[in-house]
Amino acid sequence: MRRSFAASLGLYAGAVALGAFSVFPFLWMVITSVKGSQEIFTRTPVFVPHSPTLGRYAQVLGGEFARALLNSVIVATGTTVLGVSVAVLAGYSLARFRLPLRRYLLMLILSTQMFPLVALIIPLFIVMRTLGLLNTYPGLILAYLSFTVPLAAWMMRGFFQSIPPELEDAAMVDGATRMGAFLRVVLPVAGPGVAATSIYAFIVAWNEFLIALTFISDEQMRTLPVALQSFIGRESTDWGAIMAASVIFTLPVIAFFLLVHKRLTRGMAAGALKG
Amino acid sequence: MIEAKNTGQRRRLLRPARRQRRGRMYFESRVLPWLLLLPALVVIFGLILYPVVRTLWLSFTDAGLASLVSGQMDFVGLRNYADIFSDPELRMTFVRTALFGFACVAGTMALGLSAALLLNQKFRGRVVLGVLVLLPWAVPAVAASIVWKWMFDDQYGIINWALSSVGLSMFKGFPWFNDWLPAFVAVGIVVVWQSFPFVALMLLAGFQAIPQEVLEAAKSDGAGAFQRLRHVTLPMLKPLVLVLIVISTIWDFKIFDQIYVMTGGGPAHSTEVISVATWREAFTQLDFGMGSALAILLFVVLALVTIIYIRLIREEELG
Repeated sequence: MRRSFAASLGLYAGAVALGAFSVFPFLWMVITSVKGSQEIFTRTPVFVPHSPTLGRYAQVLGGEFARALLNSVIVATGTTVLGVSVAVLAGYSLARFRLPLRRYLLMLILSTQMFPLVALIIPLFIVMRTLGLLNTYPGLILAYLSFTVPLAAWMMRGFFQSIPPELEDAAMVDGATRMGAFLRVVLPVAGPGVAATSIYAFIVAWNEFLIALTFISDEQMRTLPVALQSFIGRESTDWGAIMAASVIFTLPVIAFFLLVHKRLTRGMAAGALKG
Repeated sequence: MIEAKNTGQRRRLLRPARRQRRGRMYFESRVLPWLLLLPALVVIFGLILYPVVRTLWLSFTDAGLASLVSGQMDFVGLRNYADIFSDPELRMTFVRTALFGFACVAGTMALGLSAALLLNQKFRGRVVLGVLVLLPWAVPAVAASIVWKWMFDDQYGIINWALSSVGLSMFKGFPWFNDWLPAFVAVGIVVVWQSFPFVALMLLAGFQAIPQEVLEAAKSDGAGAFQRLRHVTLPMLKPLVLVLIVISTIWDFKIFDQIYVMTGGGPAHSTEVISVATWREAFTQLDFGMGSALAILLFVVLALVTIIYIRLIREEELG
């Protein structure tokens, strides 16, 4: 069937509008970050910078922001390693064994995804304060496990379920223990799933704002989102530098995301729709 | 004779091994599953369930700054809840959360559906558009809020420039964040921008799962494109659409980052939703009791939505 000219026109107009709406804010972030200062504060926006500069990236990475970047990398990596280790074990157990109460466990895991963080944060704050973990990496990492572990376990369960159990049965007939079969046979096959889950955990820890805002008062310990937020509150907001910092903050997420979005959405869809 | 002796010997040799194997089997089927699950259970009970119960308990107390130092707090029963419902300012917080939340859900579903319909057509550049549409989902909430806040800037923002150059001169220097309604519109756009890709992607997957014959049959019966959507596609996708609405509702009722970064709850608390009010009561006013009560109320609202969500999943599983 051929589309009429008007229908094609409408289709392409819609496609262009949707594409522009999706991409423009990020594009604008990048453009603003490389503009000269006099081109940022203009009544008529400058779309193509006259003399683009990467100076702000050097400025941002050389200043206090570098520390925030380091903090974010440490906290997100720590959360990923710890959270995914826990989630891989739990996911395997939930995928392969007929546990009593399994239904309720799965429902519990799924429903924790709906818990608002503000309902956890007050007691967590008090406990971390008592333990002296405010303004520390372990404090943030521990708190971040609360929202990474359940969904990561759910995703890993889905990945393990897609691997035929005959695989480890065969290994066990050959004399391997259950754990041996899991570690040496199943886990390597689940590699892509582990990678996708790790990237998911890294992204949510990297993006997290509320807990970091609450637990961190020491400027030296701020993560990227908190540092960024504190920049826009200042008297004369340096939008160019903020945009450069935002690009640094956003780019790794986009890169990771494009790498695994197919697997991620499949895992989440399986999680969301096939209880 | 030799054989028999051999079998006997083998049996004797096998017995400890078999017992050992039985022990291993018991371990592997009864102990190991829980051992593997243990760390996750510690996280779920220690970092999620305990804090929720503790929040509930704190909501019946007057815990505040003093309680941090000395552990001193008094049980006040339902006073915090009574205060919330008798305070018109805090009562409004709930109305605001619901209105803002549902408006965002409506916007997200409408845009998500439009994007999915568009991406379901065959045209050149479809694959590229499919990737571009994912981008907003990948931008961290704080970064998205910041760039949109800059775009909504009254003097130098590109949105006011665009609106006033197409003839809407009232937007020249229009202050988006001086009043609750335009401020909510600006924040709502960011929320929708970030959440429509997920909805679009899920709906697109749903569209593609509908057997082509059904649509062909409807077409040969004379149904137009809109009628096919209205009477065939959407009814078939009803469970998916319901689940997406519930998930979006849960997300949009607990929005914090975008509001905190873009408006800070202001001007004069007029864009404060429950999560922002909770945070302010707890960590600016240091009234943990009141903050906890607000958090519990939000929790109850979301729990109701979650129960609906799990019901829907079950129905889909059975149906």
